[in-house]
This record gives sequence, C-alpha cells and structure tokens, in this order.
Amino acid sequence: MITKRFVWKVQIIATFVFLIFLVPVLYTIASAFKDMTELFSTTPTFFPKQWTLANFIHVLSIGDYTLYILNSLFVATTSTIIAIVINTMSGYALAKYKFKGATIIMIVILSTIMLPLEIFMAPIFKVITFFGMYDSLWAIIIPPAATPTGIFLMRQYLLTIPDDIIDSARIDGASEWQIFLRIIIPNAKPAIATLAIFSFMWRWNDYVWPLISIFSPKKQTLQLAIANLTGEYGTDYTSALAISVFSMIPMLLIFVTFQRSFIQGTVDSGMKG
Amino acid sequence: MTSKVLSYKKYKFKQKIIPYIFLAPNLLIFTIFIIFPALIGIVYSFTDRTLFTFGNANFVGFQNYITIFNDPFFIKALWNTVGLALVTVPLMFVVSLLLAVLLKQPIKALGFYRATYYWPVMISAIVVGIIWQWILAGNYGLFNTTLQGLHNFFKSLGLVSSTFTPSPTLSDGRFAWIAVVFAILWSRAGYYMIIFLAALLSIPVSLYEAAEMDGANKFQKFRFITYPSLKAARTMVLILVTMEVFKIYPLVVTFTGGGPFRATEFTVQYIYKVAFQHYQIGQASAMSVIMLLIVTTFSGIIFFLSKRGEGQ
Repeated sequence: MITKRFVWKVQIIATFVFLIFLVPVLYTIASAFKDMTELFSTTPTFFPKQWTLANFIHVLSIGDYTLYILNSLFVATTSTIIAIVINTMSGYALAKYKFKGATIIMIVILSTIMLPLEIFMAPIFKVITFFGMYDSLWAIIIPPAATPTGIFLMRQYLLTIPDDIIDSARIDGASEWQIFLRIIIPNAKPAIATLAIFSFMWRWNDYVWPLISIFSPKKQTLQLAIANLTGEYGTDYTSALAISVFSMIPMLLIFVTFQRSFIQGTVDSGMKG
Repeated sequence: MTSKVLSYKKYKFKQKIIPYIFLAPNLLIFTIFIIFPALIGIVYSFTDRTLFTFGNANFVGFQNYITIFNDPFFIKALWNTVGLALVTVPLMFVVSLLLAVLLKQPIKALGFYRATYYWPVMISAIVVGIIWQWILAGNYGLFNTTLQGLHNFFKSLGLVSSTFTPSPTLSDGRFAWIAVVFAILWSRAGYYMIIFLAALLSIPVSLYEAAEMDGANKFQKFRFITYPSLKAARTMVLILVTMEVFKIYPLVVTFTGGGPFRATEFTVQYIYKVAFQHYQIGQASAMSVIMLLIVTTFSGIIFFLSKRGEGQ
C-alpha cells in the first residue's frame, strides 16, 4: 500500500536531489553576475549583492569570443545537417532492405562504439593531416557526423514504418530516391528531431575533435576557448564564468523547448555517440 | 531479349546495390576516421614514429611497450584510470538506478524532476569542470563557505569548540580524485537514470499486482520483479559507463588539470601529452593499444557476467 506519508517522504527526497543538481549551476550563473570584489570576497554570498553585466561585456571585448561562438554554431549546425542525411540513409538501409552483409555491417557499426576517438587521438590526427583537413573546421564537422548512435536511433524508428507504404509507392513507379525523400523523411520526423537535438549538443559541447584538429586561434571553438582560460597558473574566473554561461544558453533553450524529444530519444536509442 | 527484360534486370541490379549506396557515406567515414586509425595505431605502436615522421618509420618491435611500462607516469595514469573505473562504474550504476526508482514513485511534478535531473547531461564537460572548480575554489568557494557555516552552527550548539580550518579541496590529491568521481556522477547520472526509467516503465503493472496478491513486500517486489526486468538496461548502462570512464579527459582539463601532482591524471590525458607535447606517436599508440585491451577486457567481463545471469 502506498500511504500519503510515504509519498511525502519521497517528495522531500526528490526535492533534495533536485537541489543537488540545481545549486551548482545556479551558483555559477549567479557568480557570473558578480563584480571582481564580490567574486573574490572572503565573505561570499550566493547571489550577487549588486548584479552587473561587467564580466559578460569584458569577455566579449577581449579576445574573439564572438568569433568562437560563431565557429561553434557553424560547426554544430553543419555537422547536424550532414548527420541527419547520412544517418537516416544508413538507418533506412538497415531497417528496410535485405542484402548480403547486413548483419556484418551492423556489427561493424556497433563495434565502432568500442573504438573511442579519445584513445586513438594520435593516429586519427595523422589521418586528418593526410587528408589535408588539419586546421580546418571540416575536420570537426564531417568525421563526427557519422555516429553509430544516430544510425541505431534511425533504424529503430524506421522499423516501425509499415512496408506497405514503401511497396505501394514502388508499384506506382517511384524510384528508390523518391521513396526516401518523399516517404521516409516525412515519416521519420520525430526521430530526425531527436537526432538533430543530440547531434547539435554533441558538436556544441565537443572538445577532443577540435583539440586535435584545430591550430589557428581564429578557428577555435567555444569549448577550446573556455578550456584555454584554465591552466597551470590558475583560472581566469571573471572570463571563465561568463563564457560558461554563454556555453550553457543554447543548450538551455534547446532543452526547455525540446525536453520531451530529448528524454524520449535517450529512451529510444539508449546510447551516446 | 526484349528491352523489358533488360530493364527488369537493370532494375533488379539497382535494387541490389541501393542499400549499399545508402550506407556508403557512413561506412566511408567510419572506415577512414575510426577503423583505419585504430589499425594503423596498432602498427605505429611497433615503430619509432614521431609526430614529424612523414615517411616510413623504423620497426622497433616491443620497445615502445617496454618503455611505457617503465614510465612511472604512465603506470600512475593507468592505475588512476582503472581505479576510477572500479569506483565510478558501480557507483554510477547504483545512483542512476536509485534515481530512476525514485522518479517512478507517484509524487507530484514528476516531469519537472525528470527534466531537472537530466539537465546537467547537456552541459559540456569543459563547463562542468569550470562549475566544480569554482565551487571548490580556494578557502572561500561555496564548498568551504558551506562547511564554515555548518561549523559555526555546530559551534553555537556547543558541539565543537575548535576554530574552522578550510578544507584543502583540489590542492589535496585524494580530495581531487574523489571530487572527479563526484563530478562524473553529478553530470552523467541523469542520462543513465533515463535508460533505467524507460526499462522500469515498460514493466507490466500486472506483475506487481500479482505479487501483491501473493503478499510480496517492497523488497521482494524489487528483488524478484524489478531487478530481473532491468537485465538489458543494466548491461547497457554498465558498458556505456565503462567506456565513458576510460575515455575521461575534457572534464579534468578544466576541473583539476590532472593535478595536484598527477593525482587526477588519467590515461587519455597522458596519451595526449605523449603524442602532442612529447611528439612520441609510437609510444602514445602503444598506450592506446593497452587501453583498448583493458576496455575490451572490462566490457567482456560485463558481457560474460550478464550472460551467465541469464540462466537464473
């Protein structure tokens, strides 16, 4: 039996856990609005006594942070578009066609999860250099666009589209490309939305691909720039906190808008790329 | 042969190659940027290649492996990482499962809690590092201020009499290592919670009702219905967390920088140093191969254990 008392107890625990997840983020955002003296005060307060935009103005006036934000936006958007096209194509092939080697290809795709870029940084760097992609934003756009998670997510979703629709289109004389563009893509919209959100988040938050592929300061992404604010001689908090808030804003907007697809997407794919 | 037969044959052929065309872009990228690098990584590990070797490198046999296993910094990074996996994987498993069970209870505002527990997953590891460094920063960060507040509170109750000494936080190796574990849990538990939650919600209610009629208590219901039903989710979470812990890097870049005194330097960070700061691609590749072997072993053990549990 579930008693009222039990529900109240659970509600209190859930709220306590919520605070553990909320307070660190809230404190960081609030701190970004503090001026220098308050930031390093020996009697700190949680919220600023005097709210100020000074840190945000400062960080946008030094260095090229506007440029880094634009770079990150460009990379995340372009890579996401490519990811949608190629992962939907692969997902469709694996869901709706019977062909030789389908199982092997599926195993190969899934096993790439076991070969993380982080571990093979050095040879991947060599390959990027070999293809003349070093210090080009395309090095952080194209390779990560192919994700096993994306393929898996699309495949699982496309399996639910009835074969009858595809067959009747074929009888009506539609070519395979027409079927893909006119029937599969419109029917796969929910899964595509999920993939788009995930892909954008992965690329916006990415650090390791840019780290090994980008050299020119002008081509830095936001995450690289934030990481450069910390170092052996301590962290430049005035800039780091403000720029961290800039990094969280797009994610927060996407999250609030698409929260449902996000959580549903995690449920469907159960993986990350 | 009539033209109709010919065009039918052409059609048949097209039907056959279409799926490969659809798969081509992905497979091409996987082959070039993942599978091929992994393979040449294995080759590199037996050569004296540096970052600036453009032609052929010399074959040196197992020399790189001997070198790295005599490198105390690599051994330290390796132990740090294996230790991190042994501690973080079970903790993440338990924490995310508990959160999922918590958010399956009939409380108010479930959607709100689910969303807010998930939110840290969307913050980049780099920013998560900044957030926790700022909280633990120096003597007057949120962490030490809270400790001081608690201390003063207990002092006013007469429970303690000593004066407050701030925690050393990130300048203490052991503290920093535990802080890394905590930051991983904080930023990723929401993700695995959702995987468990999806599995929990797919368990038929009738199972619980039947158990209730047979007089099962809460613990028995969890032990005999919930836990066995989560088998697939459990294996998946364990594998994913293992992979994640072994490739940890961005978080520590901004959180601890690997310090103090390499207390939180993990293998990926060290591989990066050896490859891109010491230019020793051969040695870095040998480390990659060792890492791959360890990751595969861990995943293999998890698979094996979950397969064995199937018979029950």
